[in-house]
Amino acid sequence: MSTLTPSQNLVGDLALRHLDAAYNLGRWLLGNDADASDAVHDAFLRATRAADTYAGGNARAWWLAIVRNCCLARLAIRRRERGDVAIDQVESAKGRDAVDALLAGGDTEDAESALETAQRRALFARHVAELPVEFREVLLLREIEEFSYREIADLLQMPIGTVMSRLSRARALLQAALGTAAREEVKHGL
Amino acid sequence: MDCKAARDLVPLYFDGELDRATARELETHLDDCAECRDALVALDALRRALREDAPRYAATGELRERLQAELGDRRPRPLRRMQRPWLALAASAALAFVAGGGAVLLWQQRAGTPIAHDLFESHWRALAAASPVDVISTDRHTVKPWFAGKLADAPFVQDFAEQGFALVGGRLDYAGSERVAVLVYRHGQHLIDVFVLPASAGAAPAATLREGYALDPVSLGGRPAAMVSDMDATERARFGALLAAAR
Repeated sequence: MSTLTPSQNLVGDLALRHLDAAYNLGRWLLGNDADASDAVHDAFLRATRAADTYAGGNARAWWLAIVRNCCLARLAIRRRERGDVAIDQVESAKGRDAVDALLAGGDTEDAESALETAQRRALFARHVAELPVEFREVLLLREIEEFSYREIADLLQMPIGTVMSRLSRARALLQAALGTAAREEVKHGL
Repeated sequence: MDCKAARDLVPLYFDGELDRATARELETHLDDCAECRDALVALDALRRALREDAPRYAATGELRERLQAELGDRRPRPLRRMQRPWLALAASAALAFVAGGGAVLLWQQRAGTPIAHDLFESHWRALAAASPVDVISTDRHTVKPWFAGKLADAPFVQDFAEQGFALVGGRLDYAGSERVAVLVYRHGQHLIDVFVLPASAGAAPAATLREGYALDPVSLGGRPAAMVSDMDATERARFGALLAAAR
């Protein structure tokens, strides 16, 4: 086993501490578990190798920026190879898994509301997955990871104005998609 | 302010990115304009839905082990990574019972170190950032509801401006994998962070000094908290006593 420098150990620790956030970002951007795992693993190697370039500041943002770059690299390769965009894991299968999982552990909730929750989540997952990747990432960083505009701008290496316009567009798109879904439900009397 | 200008500012207001003066102007407009209020409510509904319903994927144990192997990690896993936080609590209680005070101190120092590290880091990051707070305090009625929407258990929020410790605002940060509320106070030139520790964090980190900054375990109206500042010991003790009496 090679000996690691103190800064490599530090970076390794911080990456492990924010591993779930990193994985979630990878999964949102790449759409499947295998690619997300591999991208995070790439990022981890890159981060520990580049440990000395970490100049302080928001460690979580620094680490997620590396993860994101590894994800985008994978997306670019995938596009070149397949000549198309991301192929997400089949969402209906995921919805079914979620239903199964919830039904299996349904001691606390009754089966019907668990089913409703699972269906709502599956639908939501589909709407989110259908957003273009540049909107998806900004939405995740703001709403789930709660970074400020400045932090997102630094992380994505883009002007703060672009962050604001993308975020606003992402929200509008998702609101429209959810609004349409709600109207469909009413129409079908659900 | 007209609706057109207001509508552009609503998302910034919602994201806590407006300066205080503009926020006040917008609030005045919102008082009179139902449509702009609806836009704010819609943003909040979307955020809630995203937090509750959007998929959140946790790293698999297999990936975590792969990465730990890369580090050649033979160190014991920190307690906070345990799947069941109450086991960590039970372990600390059992240790205290069996081995007495000395062992507790040892446990606190070992388990407290990574948390203490996070708290110092958070404080330094906040000092370096453009603003040390995510929500500005106009009075405690703006800070407490802000936390209420983000944490299951909103902290006591009290302004001690009369005693010389003015509430600046609040932010959220992470200690370990836990999201914690941070109350930010100002005393003269000193900025003070009060981290409200979640119950699952176990014992509060021990008092520590690092690069001229001090971390002190304090009580915020009976809840475990930790304060990071560069004040001298007398002022820290005085503020600690004020916090303990917070309601």
